[in-house]
Amino acid sequence: MKTTELARHKRERLLMWFQLLPVMTVLTVLFGGALLLGIMQSLGFAPWFGVNTFPDSTYFRALWGSSSFWQSLWLTLYYAIAATVISLVLGILLAMAMVRTFPSKTLYKYLYKLPLMIPYTVGIALAVIMLGNGGMLSRLMAFGGFIDDPAQFPQILKTHMGWGIIAVYVWKQTPFVALTIYAVLLGVGRETEEAAAILGASKRQIFFQVTFPQIMPGIVSSTLIIFAFNIGAFEAPFILGGGFPDTLPVVAWRFFNDADYTLQLQGMATVVSIALIAGVILYTYLAIYRRYERRIGRH
Amino acid sequence: MANRKSSTIALSDRLSPFQKIYLWLIAGFILGPFIPLIIQSFAFRWAWPDLLPGTWWLEQREKSILPLAWDYVISPYSQVWEATLNTVFIGSVVTAICLVICLPAARVLARENFRGKPAFEFFLSMPLIVPEAAIGIALLMIFIQIGLAGSYFGIIIVHLIPTIPYMIRMLTAVYQGLGKDFEEQAMILGASRWQVMRMVTLPMLLPGVVAGALFTFLVSTNIFLLTFFMGQGKIVTLPTLLFSKIAGGTLDASAAGITLVVTIPGIILLLITERFIKEEAFGKGFGN
Repeated sequence: MKTTELARHKRERLLMWFQLLPVMTVLTVLFGGALLLGIMQSLGFAPWFGVNTFPDSTYFRALWGSSSFWQSLWLTLYYAIAATVISLVLGILLAMAMVRTFPSKTLYKYLYKLPLMIPYTVGIALAVIMLGNGGMLSRLMAFGGFIDDPAQFPQILKTHMGWGIIAVYVWKQTPFVALTIYAVLLGVGRETEEAAAILGASKRQIFFQVTFPQIMPGIVSSTLIIFAFNIGAFEAPFILGGGFPDTLPVVAWRFFNDADYTLQLQGMATVVSIALIAGVILYTYLAIYRRYERRIGRH
Repeated sequence: MANRKSSTIALSDRLSPFQKIYLWLIAGFILGPFIPLIIQSFAFRWAWPDLLPGTWWLEQREKSILPLAWDYVISPYSQVWEATLNTVFIGSVVTAICLVICLPAARVLARENFRGKPAFEFFLSMPLIVPEAAIGIALLMIFIQIGLAGSYFGIIIVHLIPTIPYMIRMLTAVYQGLGKDFEEQAMILGASRWQVMRMVTLPMLLPGVVAGALFTFLVSTNIFLLTFFMGQGKIVTLPTLLFSKIAGGTLDASAAGITLVVTIPGIILLLITERFIKEEAFGKGFGN
């Protein structure tokens, strides 16, 4: 009796793993393969170019030793962090307005999701037509009599301040943050806020001591996703960036398209560096968040 | 008493004046830039600093039947048609494969508890937090070696990476909402496994599965970087086509037209999916 029970249990477990297998295999092969080969190449393993000096840290040393790498890293992080923080603030405000009732809410719920549905390249095109020197803002300023030549318009795109890049990210990601936090707010309901209000808490207190801890999981998951995306994004910095020094993904891409084949290994070292830096930052972020959760006694 | 009053205001279900203005500002920020884009695509000549085009296409109708930009967009030279077909084809195949491999896994994740489940779920979310450029370039090197770069097959495979996490999340939410009860009742009433599957599980799953599939399709059609790297310029999709038109940092009338075309699939899918998409699927955290 017991043995048949055990056998059945075993068979069910086996069936379960069998169902998980396809998705696991696809991700393991693609991710693991990319990771393994990427690391090996950055350490000098590329027999197809006639290079095989594995393990060899020259490429990393050459990369990390150049000041342009650190400038690129700084730019990459600056664009990513600035856009993430702005999107987060705008997204929280939007989500908190969305839970209220207002006329045409149904329509608004369609409208604010539009940027989520279309590619980043559309956002870039919109940035060009709005913020470029001959763009809409520059025309409006001329209309207002502030400037009388496109060249007088303050350069927004193609500078290292990256306003154009950040604007595209914020345009695309505010709705994502809002959607995530709106979902969390719908899930927790308003009872706890009401309770706090009855107990005499002020608006400020309700937000920072009741609402904020509740939406924390949404904040963390959405900022993790957009920050990781921003670090690895290519098209916006490529088109709207200020040229040398470029962000790291653009640098890696330039290494790969260089006529000199051996630079591809340098490019791979750049790629591995991006993944490494993103990994360390995200891991630290998650670790801090977990400590926070433990501190407030949720886990 | 005063305190009481302020707390009722704090919990009002209506928008505060600030929120009202804020919602308008956000709507303007999201939709506003489309206005000059549409104008641009119908302009004949639009010199700086005119707020509206000096010459509209309408006034020059004897010179071209269609607005110049749109004439180019629908002509084969623009590759818009080719890119649309490629985008739809790749998106459909990716969605089908993704559905097949994610459905069984989502069922298990929604219903079973096993050792290492949180780690497994985290693993499935990894594609969302690994920078795309890193994975794209690394895979490109492998794909060039094995001859998959520049092929449909190669693009479809890499599209699975960013679509899997969303598909899994949405399907898991569907299975969690379903519960086991109905299936068990059907079994008790003497239905066979096949009958349960065909007459109970599938009809109940269908709306959620359709939503997941549509959303996966959407994610796939929006992917730029992976397509750009793997396509090697041989296979154009709508995002990569638009990229090549605006890579110089300027936007002429034809690029404005193409931008609008690239926006259309998103609008269509938004109209279809808004009702289906479970907001809850996005609220799921990483840290727990």
